[in-house]
Amino acid sequence: MATGDDVRRDVTEKAAKPIDLDQDLIAIATSQDQGAYQRVFHAIAPRLKTFLMVQGTIESIAEEILQETMLKVWQKARLFDGSKASASTWIYTIARNAKIDRFRKETRLVPDPNDPSYIPDSPETGEQSVTKKQESNHIKEAIATLPSDQLRIIMVSFYEEKSHTEISEELGIPLGTVKSRIRLAFGKIRNELKGVS
Amino acid sequence: MNIQHHIGDDTLMAYVNGTLPETISVVVATHLAICPECRKNVALMEDIAALYLVESEPAYHVDADPTAPDIQQLDPEIATAASTKYQTDKGVPNPLADRMPVHLEDIPWKKLIPGISHYPLSVADGSRKKGVLRLLKIAPGTPMPEHSHSGQEITMILRGSYIDDLGRFQTGDIADLDDEVWHQPVADTDKDCICLIATSAPLKFSGFFSRLLQPLVGI
Ligand SMILES: [Zn+2]
Repeated sequence: MATGDDVRRDVTEKAAKPIDLDQDLIAIATSQDQGAYQRVFHAIAPRLKTFLMVQGTIESIAEEILQETMLKVWQKARLFDGSKASASTWIYTIARNAKIDRFRKETRLVPDPNDPSYIPDSPETGEQSVTKKQESNHIKEAIATLPSDQLRIIMVSFYEEKSHTEISEELGIPLGTVKSRIRLAFGKIRNELKGVS
Repeated sequence: MNIQHHIGDDTLMAYVNGTLPETISVVVATHLAICPECRKNVALMEDIAALYLVESEPAYHVDADPTAPDIQQLDPEIATAASTKYQTDKGVPNPLADRMPVHLEDIPWKKLIPGISHYPLSVADGSRKKGVLRLLKIAPGTPMPEHSHSGQEITMILRGSYIDDLGRFQTGDIADLDDEVWHQPVADTDKDCICLIATSAPLKFSGFFSRLLQPLVGI
């Protein structure tokens, strides 16, 4: 996770902040905006490549996955719904699915809202005043409260996309401990988020 | 549907980061189709994963062309139109429905032992070492052989209910069990209890009878 300093440095380097990504995706969707596409590309592609290479993907395949991801971002931009997910989360899921599709026989299994058996979310009861931008700040604050042993597992799981077994071997702790730390961490994160909304 | 037992955060995280075995992913995604609460937890985890991505320091130069692809964008109306695959109702949500040949009512059950039948489902990665996926039907009052797991076992109740040391599990509920948990579910109403069960590795059975049964049952 970026520290406060990293975030400020990102801003000075004109990296797209989550809020800009949202606007750029909408511009891509509504007017096939070339400039917006390039901003998203420069914000996402180098980070995604780094992400993939940290996870052990060889460079040529990392390039393929990021090209596939950016192609899908362009193609699917009109399906983006900012009320359901932030732009960064939407792009992340596209990238992760592109990676899984590249390495697995089976495409990623997801529930389908068009399925007649699907049970939709009940209408939000809470106030909708918390924007996605505020929400991601709250999430960062909640993560910052985690003890270091839990934080480390969350980081390795998300950034390096390691399995529980791999984490257990790497850290030399039992598999059950990995799982219980994950459960404790999310319990705490949800609790913190409940406190602010 | 009043869901009381949900998917554990550790399992959801493995689903989100793409490290969950396919057998278990089928159960997770099928429960997500009917559980807004677990979908919310998945959404939170994806938000966190996305933060790690967008706020990381890039360390590599990208070779790919940054100009927009010269191809048509998808039309949302067409892309989200209900697909024809839902014309045949199988009585269960996807992705389970995709893996069933017929409606849940018409499954050609195979008898395992008195009161218990099963129907194995195939997955793309079919090696048994990666675990198995099956439907299980337990007649009222029948105790399952007591067993524990050498890997993860996750169960979703599709019809009826059962009760064991961990509580009562009804339609839609998930029993997400680690290894070394011993349990002995019993269908506790006058109806059959039908479950979807995935394991990440074959189960161990306890007791002499169960050990005899294991090669036969293979669960
Ligand atoms: Zn649930």
